[in-house]
Amino acid sequence: MPALLEMQEFYAGYGPIEVLKGISIEVRPGEIVALIGANGAGKTSTLMGISGCLRPRRGRVLWESQEIQQLPAHEIVRRGICHSPEGRKIFPRLTVLENLQMGAFSRRDRAGIERDLVHAFELFPILAERRTQAGGTLSGGEQQMLSVARALMGRPKLLLLDEPSLGLAPMIVVKIFDVVRKLNQEGMAILLVEQAARMALKLAHRGYVMEIGQITMVDKAAALLTDKRVQDAYLGE
Amino acid sequence: MSPASRKRPPVELLYLAVLLAYPLLVYPEDALFRLTEISIGMQLTYIFIYAILALGLNVVVGFTGLLHLGIAAFFGIGAYITGILTVPAYPFQLGFLAALALSTAGAALLGVLLGAPTLRLRGDYLAIVTLGFGEVTRFTLRNLEEITAGTRGLNPVPAPSLPVAMTVPLHWLGIEPDWSLDYRLFYYLALGLLLLVVVLLRNLEHSRLGRAWVAIREDELAATCMGINAARVKLSAFALGCGLAGMAGCLYATTLTSTAGPDAFDFNRSIIMLCCIILGGLGSVRGTLLGVFLLIGFDNVVAPILDGLIQGADINPSGNPLLTFSNWKLMIFGLALILMMRFRPEGLIPSVQIEAEMTKDLPGPRGIRAEAR
Repeated sequence: MPALLEMQEFYAGYGPIEVLKGISIEVRPGEIVALIGANGAGKTSTLMGISGCLRPRRGRVLWESQEIQQLPAHEIVRRGICHSPEGRKIFPRLTVLENLQMGAFSRRDRAGIERDLVHAFELFPILAERRTQAGGTLSGGEQQMLSVARALMGRPKLLLLDEPSLGLAPMIVVKIFDVVRKLNQEGMAILLVEQAARMALKLAHRGYVMEIGQITMVDKAAALLTDKRVQDAYLGE
Repeated sequence: MSPASRKRPPVELLYLAVLLAYPLLVYPEDALFRLTEISIGMQLTYIFIYAILALGLNVVVGFTGLLHLGIAAFFGIGAYITGILTVPAYPFQLGFLAALALSTAGAALLGVLLGAPTLRLRGDYLAIVTLGFGEVTRFTLRNLEEITAGTRGLNPVPAPSLPVAMTVPLHWLGIEPDWSLDYRLFYYLALGLLLLVVVLLRNLEHSRLGRAWVAIREDELAATCMGINAARVKLSAFALGCGLAGMAGCLYATTLTSTAGPDAFDFNRSIIMLCCIILGGLGSVRGTLLGVFLLIGFDNVVAPILDGLIQGADINPSGNPLLTFSNWKLMIFGLALILMMRFRPEGLIPSVQIEAEMTKDLPGPRGIRAEAR
């Protein structure tokens, strides 16, 4: 099966600092792919590179076999890649409902948006309760749910999730990962960046290990979980 | 706007009715004039004009969160475009409507030209660029004497001519409209345009574009991730804000029958307008209107009245500058702003979102409104 997303030899950086040194990643339809690695390895930059928020110096991003690395970010959203960025980045002064409506900004099919809103509230019932509350007043876990739900409102074919577990109680993380699994069962491809490597690899089909701007390992997630080097470096055993 | 707030009796309509009726009643204007020697009607006209200017600034600063410190320059550009297009010294001598349209479009275009290369700058840097542009514009207007007549300004800007459809019925009623003698013509002209602008902004505020502005203000990266073309959305806010400033400038020059000198469009003017929208409530149309009413009203009406009272009471025969109210004006102004920041930083009539951010009062009025739904 051809890959949904292919990042090929992607180089990018900020000013004089090169952060991504030839990243190659692929996501196939219906897959959950985990990208794990230490702080500063370039995981977030990789996602930014895919969603068009970071321009490559070299390399390509193919989406459904078409080059998208030069497209502006808002065009990429329109093609079905939605990003739940690191640190959640919800709109603190907009209500939960308005946040979700912003997620559907690139769409114009009212009926479809309404359906997806209902679906988002089914996935995260707490958001329905809080719909008139300002986003900034939600708890950390609720904000993360809002961030994911908002990304879903763009009706993605590929969902980019950046550190959904960041700073959250384990119970909440389990809840969010359950939703990710459910979304995947509905057919959505997901690229998950995580520091909580064990949970991410348990959820994912395949995984990439990233170290200072390069991919150092790629394998089935189950294989990475039992790999000695991964265990030593990222799973804390 | 939430359904609950729509059910409230529309207080705005009451204010509007008062403003519409005020000049027709004649008596209050005459009485107030005898009392204060200030034409309140004329001052209200200027308040309407500054309200348009402030509403334009509010689009840029309040809705979109871009700190613009040079709005007066666009106000001036509007005034000078009108001057060039209408005064007898130039061959164009266009009518008012054409001048209004071209001033608005010209200021908007200049806004785009300034914004396109600079809007990628963040916060402070954009503020510096707009501040610099404001001063550059002022000095250009002053030094380009062959075109702008330097410090003298361009005049006389002719009064608009009413369409025949209006002059004929007025003639039957025995009214011969004379723009230079009767403030009411400018009054209704400015009020009418202000109304149009308010309706336009109210609609825009809740449109796709309005939501995109607010999203950019809240978090630009997140807004981009939502599929918002940040560059274009910011530019549109800039264009609209500067365009409205240009429109206000055209009205100003027409009402004053002169472009005034370049110094009428200095940094002070920009800051006062900024104070108006901060006092009233950033990002709120109603707040902006209230802020302009209070600050410009204080500046143009209350201060001169108090000055007159002090003089009339003969407390200050030697002309001691400490005993004129105007000299204390800015201090009172500053004090009011400091008190605002301390006790009500979100402004008098804040936008819903900014209020939520500043107060985080969950069980407060918003919570109650949600239950009422």
